[in-house]
Amino acid sequence: MNARTGGVAATASRGGQIAFAGVGIELGGKTIIENLSFAVSPGEFVCIVGASGCGKTTALRLAAGLYRPSRGTVSFSGAAMAGPRRDIAIVFQDYGKALLPWRTAAGNVALALEAAGVPSAQRAPRIDALLDKVGLPAHGAKYPSEMSGGMQQRLQIARCLAQEPAALLMDEPFGALDAMTRQGLQDEVLALVGASGATVIFVTHDLEEAIYLGDRVIGLLPHPGRIGLDLEVDLPRPRDQLATREHPEFLRLRRELFDFIRTSEA
Amino acid sequence: MTAAVVVWRLISLAVAVAFVGLWQVVANAKLVSPVFLPGPDRAWAALVRGFAGGELWAKLVGTLQHMALGWLLASVVGIALGALIGSSRAMRAYVAPTLEFLRPLPASAVIPVAIALFGLTEAMALCVIAFGSIWPLLLATIHGFAAVEPRLYEVARALGLSRAAVIFKIALPSASPDIVAGMRLSLTVALILSVVCEMLAGLDGLGHWVLLSARAFRSADLFAGVILLGAIGYLTAQGMTAAERYVLKWRGQGH
Repeated sequence: MNARTGGVAATASRGGQIAFAGVGIELGGKTIIENLSFAVSPGEFVCIVGASGCGKTTALRLAAGLYRPSRGTVSFSGAAMAGPRRDIAIVFQDYGKALLPWRTAAGNVALALEAAGVPSAQRAPRIDALLDKVGLPAHGAKYPSEMSGGMQQRLQIARCLAQEPAALLMDEPFGALDAMTRQGLQDEVLALVGASGATVIFVTHDLEEAIYLGDRVIGLLPHPGRIGLDLEVDLPRPRDQLATREHPEFLRLRRELFDFIRTSEA
Repeated sequence: MTAAVVVWRLISLAVAVAFVGLWQVVANAKLVSPVFLPGPDRAWAALVRGFAGGELWAKLVGTLQHMALGWLLASVVGIALGALIGSSRAMRAYVAPTLEFLRPLPASAVIPVAIALFGLTEAMALCVIAFGSIWPLLLATIHGFAAVEPRLYEVARALGLSRAAVIFKIALPSASPDIVAGMRLSLTVALILSVVCEMLAGLDGLGHWVLLSARAFRSADLFAGVILLGAIGYLTAQGMTAAERYVLKWRGQGH
């Protein structure tokens, strides 16, 4: 049952919580994605990698309902997506633009609760719990401009968790952060997601990050974006920054992914 | 307050005192005829006399009322209209040429039109003041709403915010620095136009007081009025600064 233990790739082609079926999309008169089909099972952690221009971010925005496909369907829990929904949360890469600078950390988390119609009396304890969860206790009264990049991204994650999402979509969330902060946040995200049981699609250009985090890594080919590789990651959980990255299977997958990216760019 | 700030304040105060002193010296030496230039002592005496008699109070209240009502009308209409135009690219394209035509029109040129429509009434003054002072605010509001970070609209969609919530929780606060800056400029224009309208239409206010004093060669009363107008300008600007600091406290450091 638990997707984290592996053995989900077989179910990938049909069904699943998030399913792309023959999806194509044109943006600005250009075909960005063509005939993209894959499915993500409930609780699965899928990473999407690929050379720039392969449409990874576009795929994520389709999954979020922010874009409508030109062809094919994107469905969630069996129903075609009609637009964004509260049980799908998206973490943007540019946390500086995605947070409201005029609201404190607590206020930014509150926005998600306000949108969901949570009565104001119930908000404060939930906000405290969420800030605590992402490692920002006692920062509730700070404005985003007073926080570091890592803290701002934690805050955005807290706001997404406030949606109590069934699926969490992350668009290169750690791309702008330094290596140490990035590794810390990788482990925090694994712990948070493990605790909530949410399905995750995680877009990254960092191949090692994809293997480290994912149950499965999908490699996209560019121009137009389509699936080139679908790898199952059979590494024990919980993952460990040293042991996992030194695991022979990790090194094998890493080689395979690097070869894929190199040939896709050639 | 740091020592440096105290020193700067003291220097600026000293400059003001020196200016008043110089004025007194010039007046005492009768370099300019006392008919036209009273000393600060006579101007002050006229100020005290005017307030004691209650007449200057009435004029002060009149001007403040013209300015405040016109400015508030301009603010309400300007923000609403600016929000409407600023949040739609099509609206901006349709309305922009009209705005560009109306904006450089001097408000004083509108006064005869307003007088023809409303007569020499308070309604005329209200319209002229609101029309003249709406422009800086309207243009700033349009810019503020047009410049809302598109990512925030996506966040709003992902969170499922209602239309009203998007306006009041995302767009309006995002545009607030521009709006406040526009309101500050509008306030200055509103004061100028209040005085002009009072002069032209003989409405109760400092503008009328200043004009009558000048015609009657009551230079001390004239200066008392001018000093009060300066004080209104200074104090309202200070009030705007305080309001701005409070509303925009999130911008804090780093900006």
